[in-house]
Amino acid sequence: MTGPVPIGPGQLALGASLLIAHGLLSLGLQLGLERKLLIAGVRTVVQLLLMGWLLVPVFASGSAALVLGVCTVMIVLAARESVGRVSRRYRGIQVAATVALFVAGGSTALLASGVILAVDPWWSPQYLIPMLGMILGNALTGISLGLDRALAELDEGRGRVEALLALGATRWEASRPVAAEALRTGLVPILNAMSAVGLVTIPGMMTGQILGGTEPSLAARYQILILFLIAFATALGTGLSVLFALLAVFDDQHRLRGERISTRGS
Amino acid sequence: MRLRAHGLVGRAGDRTLFDGLDLEVGEGETVVVRGPSGCGKTLLLRALAGLDPLAGGRVTLGDRTPEQLGMPSWRAEVTWVSQDVPGLPGTPRDFLGVVGRLAARRARTVDDPVAIASSWGLAMTAWDQPWSRLSGGERQRVHLAVAVAGRPAVLLLDEPTSALDPEATRAVEATLADRACVWVTHDADQAWRVAAHTVELG
Repeated sequence: MTGPVPIGPGQLALGASLLIAHGLLSLGLQLGLERKLLIAGVRTVVQLLLMGWLLVPVFASGSAALVLGVCTVMIVLAARESVGRVSRRYRGIQVAATVALFVAGGSTALLASGVILAVDPWWSPQYLIPMLGMILGNALTGISLGLDRALAELDEGRGRVEALLALGATRWEASRPVAAEALRTGLVPILNAMSAVGLVTIPGMMTGQILGGTEPSLAARYQILILFLIAFATALGTGLSVLFALLAVFDDQHRLRGERISTRGS
Repeated sequence: MRLRAHGLVGRAGDRTLFDGLDLEVGEGETVVVRGPSGCGKTLLLRALAGLDPLAGGRVTLGDRTPEQLGMPSWRAEVTWVSQDVPGLPGTPRDFLGVVGRLAARRARTVDDPVAIASSWGLAMTAWDQPWSRLSGGERQRVHLAVAVAGRPAVLLLDEPTSALDPEATRAVEATLADRACVWVTHDADQAWRVAAHTVELG
């Protein structure tokens, strides 16, 4: 096994020329996608080069504070992204999503690097940062799907929840069906991914490791581990987000305060 | 146990719907609440059930407040039945199971809601149909029967017979004749038949 063939500017330019073919197709068929294609292509180049460029000093620094600082920024950005995909709001939803991702993503990534892989030091950026990235990327999807579902059900299905409250249900008893449905919705993508993985596609991380020269069977074991980590973090993050939403939307007198849910833009 | 409400203030947004409202319901007594649409009848019932916050005033059952009783227990005693009867997942029989497991109701003696609803002309088979296949009138009787079967001290009823035919309406009225109710109705004849007292809003 050898390391990857280095990619220089010439090779990147060759790769970029494929986009020109894409653009010609769009022009020929009048798809009107040229502008979007150009912007997306430029964003790909700028964002990824920037990320690679920023990570070099972080990897080289040997500073735990710097590595954990990068992790914190990643968590905050992931929380913003997850809330951005939810069509309803409550006061404090941003803080709640950040806490949920911090607890779920942070604890899972630390468990992986510090205990399961036991790398030395535990904050070793080569392990912590890419694993946290994969965990956050998936957990934020679960959180946004679950939150969207829970808030929609509390808003539109108010009558169903109040039918139980009116008979003496506590807020937890009355919101149980809502929470269960929201969790189910949030966990569907990762469960699907776990079932389909390896049948059709080689997942991204495994692809990367194989290209990087890792033996495929070891790459497969890494991929299995990361999928389990993702599933755990997604469940924990979605569960926490739904719990925070329930705490915000119900008051301590077991009342569903519908006015605390707003639709985006209003 | 008497339900007493004193000096109630109800607001919707910055509109005051009622201010200084007093209300008293004795055992087996029905108080009818009347008034034009949007005058706060539904808000009054929801506030008595503790589902909406009051802007002022005090409610007691016997000598206990909702806070002293705990809100879930309060609602098991002062039970609201919505005018909009929601369909739920599964069947009415599934709903009975969920309701029977609620902590605030587990220790209560309950009557058989199926028998009660059957006396109002609801077919026994309706309990095992999905909610989506029930008519408005069938749903209304299911929700009402579940509330009545729990033997609450007071029933808070918002147009409880709006989707029922005259025969079923009379049967419901007969069942509720010896219950304590706060009853919202637009039907003047029904008000005359069931009311011990009447409160006019608006």
